Amino acid sequence: MTPGLRRLAEPRTSNVEAGAGGRPVALGRAPVEAVIEEWVVEDRWWTGEPLRRRHFELVLVDGRDVVVFRDLVSGRWYEQRS
Amino acid sequence: MPVICALLPRLSLLAAVGGRRELLGEPVALAPEPGRRAVVGEASNAAEALGVTPGMAVGEALARCPELRLVPPDPDGARRRWGQALDGLERIGAAPESDRPGEAFFASDGLRELHGGRTEDVLAAARRTLPAGVRLGAGPSRFCSRAAAGRARPGRPLTVSEEEQARGFLAPLPVALLRSRPELAELPDVLERLGLRTLGQLAALSAAAVSERFGHPGLLALDLALGRDTPLDPRRPPEPVAERLDLPEAASGAQLERALELLVARVLARPERRGRALRSLVLTARFVEGGTWRRPVTLRTASAEPERLGLALAPRLSELPAPAESLGVEVEAFGPPAHEQAALPGDPTAAAAVRQRRIGEAIGQARRAAGEHAALRVLEVDPDSRVPERRAVLAPYPVEGGRPRSGP
Repeated sequence: MTPGLRRLAEPRTSNVEAGAGGRPVALGRAPVEAVIEEWVVEDRWWTGEPLRRRHFELVLVDGRDVVVFRDLVSGRWYEQRS
Repeated sequence: MPVICALLPRLSLLAAVGGRRELLGEPVALAPEPGRRAVVGEASNAAEALGVTPGMAVGEALARCPELRLVPPDPDGARRRWGQALDGLERIGAAPESDRPGEAFFASDGLRELHGGRTEDVLAAARRTLPAGVRLGAGPSRFCSRAAAGRARPGRPLTVSEEEQARGFLAPLPVALLRSRPELAELPDVLERLGLRTLGQLAALSAAAVSERFGHPGLLALDLALGRDTPLDPRRPPEPVAERLDLPEAASGAQLERALELLVARVLARPERRGRALRSLVLTARFVEGGTWRRPVTLRTASAEPERLGLALAPRLSELPAPAESLGVEVEAFGPPAHEQAALPGDPTAAAAVRQRRIGEAIGQARRAAGEHAALRVLEVDPDSRVPERRAVLAPYPVEGGRPRSGP
């Protein structure tokens, strides 16, 4: 990254509770009302740092619409503005 | 945590035949839901005796049983009947979880002291409040209680008390029982092809081996076979807000959209809304030929704007598979109080130059006070990237002679 530049929408680690099939059932203390969309992104598989993410767009019971993903390489959950 | 399962078999079929109970003595089955796969739904005893099973293709069912009568499904009616049953459970103090009509689970822990001190007393109280024909089972987990209820007779609940006992109870049962969990619907076929026919055979495998071969669904199935399960998620008591409108004969296109506008306006005018936005709605219809139809719609952002609600619901109208005699809108979940602000009007061209000059001055002052990185702008790098953090970066705001530079 060039000095002076900063990426936007960097993923932040997130406290997602996953249920059956690995689908999120709660984000923090807010249960998930609905999973609106689900998609997988695979990129840079030709490099030594492949990117594999399973994304979910969620509506939480408190009304928030958030996008979270599970890094399929590290297994960690992240929240991200899309 | 003992869990009780209440199972009301053939609820959807009962709702569909309505007052024509005599039909249940004949081979009848639920017709496919309009727009869904062409398979039959719940079937009467007489139909099952002739080889018709739920989920069978319509062609095969009619070939096995030519006298089979197909009745149009009434998901709205089934949901209403089951809603009344759940209300009954809540009246005895239970907090039921129910993902589909005819099947409910609730914990008996907090109820025992209310009803006499034993799980059997809670089962008796539940039986008194639920419709006739309900089957009740109790077990240490949701899955175990579901298996027990499936083997209980009406009026004679089946109880499995401890986790160890649960393993023994589940061991001889077929892996097909895993189909009671929608996320495991495909798994039993694979297990059977591999020679695993009972839950006991599955439970004897190691978690590592199951995980390796079947992933998440396999681990869940293993937990279920061992008498464990995920926690219950009781329903939130509904706040029924629904509006229905009778349609003129052969209403279509613009008429349906107009009816939808009216329904949305009526729902928004209901005092029960108390100024809250709407987050989740259901579009319902009753067909001229009989039967009903439901389509849930969850909004990305809760809203109380009629235009946005209309935009979210209107596309569903095109999915209506048959002429409707009435259309309805129900609120399933409310959002926060509606307080959306209108957008600011755009700047007139003449004022834009003044604005640019002022921004330039402000950036200069901010940088003098807080350093070179005090004013940044969003620079698109790869706007079509599938990875959000690669689309744009924050870069220093370019200023030339106190005025922001127009180009990148």
